[in-house]
Amino acid sequence: MDEKVPRSNIIETEIPMGTVHPAALEPYRVRFFVEDEIVQEAEITIGVNHRGIERIMEGLPVQKANSLTEKICGICSNSHIWNSCRTAEMGLGIEIPDRALYIRVIMGELERLHSHFLYLAHGCEVLSHETFSMRVFYLREIVMELLAMIGGNRVQYGCSVLGGVRPRCELDEAKLLRLKNDMDKIEEGLTDFAARFTADSMVMSRITGIGVLPQKQAIELAVTGPSLRATGVARDLRTTMFEYEDFDFNVITQPDGDVKSNLLMRALESFESINIIRQAISNIPEGKLVNHDWEMVDTDITESYIEVPRGTLYHSYALESGRVRHCIIRTPSMANIGAMQYACIGDQLTDAQLCIVQCDPCFTCTDRAIEVIRR
Amino acid sequence: MGIKSFSRARAIHVMLVYTGGCNGCDIEIVNSILSPRFDAEQYNVFLTWNPREADVLVVTGPVTHLNRKPLEAIYEAIPNPKLVVAAGSCALMGGVYKNCYGDIPSEEIEGPVENIIPVNAKIPGCAVRPQDVLAGVVSLLPTLLDAD
Repeated sequence: MDEKVPRSNIIETEIPMGTVHPAALEPYRVRFFVEDEIVQEAEITIGVNHRGIERIMEGLPVQKANSLTEKICGICSNSHIWNSCRTAEMGLGIEIPDRALYIRVIMGELERLHSHFLYLAHGCEVLSHETFSMRVFYLREIVMELLAMIGGNRVQYGCSVLGGVRPRCELDEAKLLRLKNDMDKIEEGLTDFAARFTADSMVMSRITGIGVLPQKQAIELAVTGPSLRATGVARDLRTTMFEYEDFDFNVITQPDGDVKSNLLMRALESFESINIIRQAISNIPEGKLVNHDWEMVDTDITESYIEVPRGTLYHSYALESGRVRHCIIRTPSMANIGAMQYACIGDQLTDAQLCIVQCDPCFTCTDRAIEVIRR
Repeated sequence: MGIKSFSRARAIHVMLVYTGGCNGCDIEIVNSILSPRFDAEQYNVFLTWNPREADVLVVTGPVTHLNRKPLEAIYEAIPNPKLVVAAGSCALMGGVYKNCYGDIPSEEIEGPVENIIPVNAKIPGCAVRPQDVLAGVVSLLPTLLDAD
């Protein structure tokens, strides 16, 4: 594996792709440097959809800024509002009721399910296996309807608020029962899919050994999340988060770091998410949803890291008379861009898009980074 | 009904352009067209990524500065008759990003989409619901079929 080193001499043939390209859903620019259709070097440029959301958050009341963080990304919107609330709660020392913590975990895991299903479906689509893609999209619809049932909207749920969760997201008996039944349905569907997928020798030969990211490189590039775990490193922030203390789950790893490992990684992790949701349903404590018993004070810059479907999400800001200052958000795809560039090297040009997709890119959320230089 | 309309009625091709929103509308639209639950293909509506094949252009997102030219180029590349659907509150009015820099005029956001290309139908929502997207695209079909 170690001979996969980027070349430093001049490569004459360049194949640019993007910024708007049929093969890529989101606008970004990739330059492939090829020799005999083998990619020797790849370069990803982002910044096309820069909107400057941190600038909008600057000086807003913290409650408003929290709901604004949802608009960073339409896939992991709940993770952003969760981590943003968590930052303020850590700064202000707000105690969160247990029931609210459980509902947050349920929402987070449902979001992980829908994000992983989207990844599997998109991966199968890039593989040109539309039947598999449709099967996963059909499964994903069950998760989307559960999210709509809890949050009231299919994409931006607005579940977390300062000190707990919104009263709309209360889980009564009927909702818990539906959640429980749908978990069985999803598990059955996913088991079917995984069995059919791994038994398909054609698909397996297409994805085995493609887009390899060696473990050493993954650690050097600071890759996070499932892309790192697919190279064999058991690092999951959920094991350190206090929200997940009550739950019993495994950190899934895969050995190879190729497309097959990445796809199986997501499928196996979905089973763990189903497991966590089942534990949450059976043990959910009684109590109130929001803790209003706190006072707004000025805080220093507070940092919070959580594990989101794509890796480690970082939020930090200070509070000044109830308003957000010096906000910085760092999304997991920022770190995974290096992995995408590296995974393409040494593969056919036709597999390059697959190699990029295997790292689960989300350039929408990555494109809002502003560097704040403090003196 | 002419022969063009007759054949067009059996294969409406929709193209999606993403101009810098949050990806929420984007995925909802791709899913509503693609996924078996809200199957748009039962109405003979298909998804394409080639502007020269497209009849309907669905635009999401507030148009960011760097996305303006690609959007115009894609609009030019679509053959007549063409229709544009703006989907989501960002495409309709710039959404939360419009007043990015407060009172200081922003060069970052060029939207709403109406400022750049003519819009035939608007689908509100943040994010749009798949049912609304289907209704919006299907409501345009008579206009498209009466074009020639």
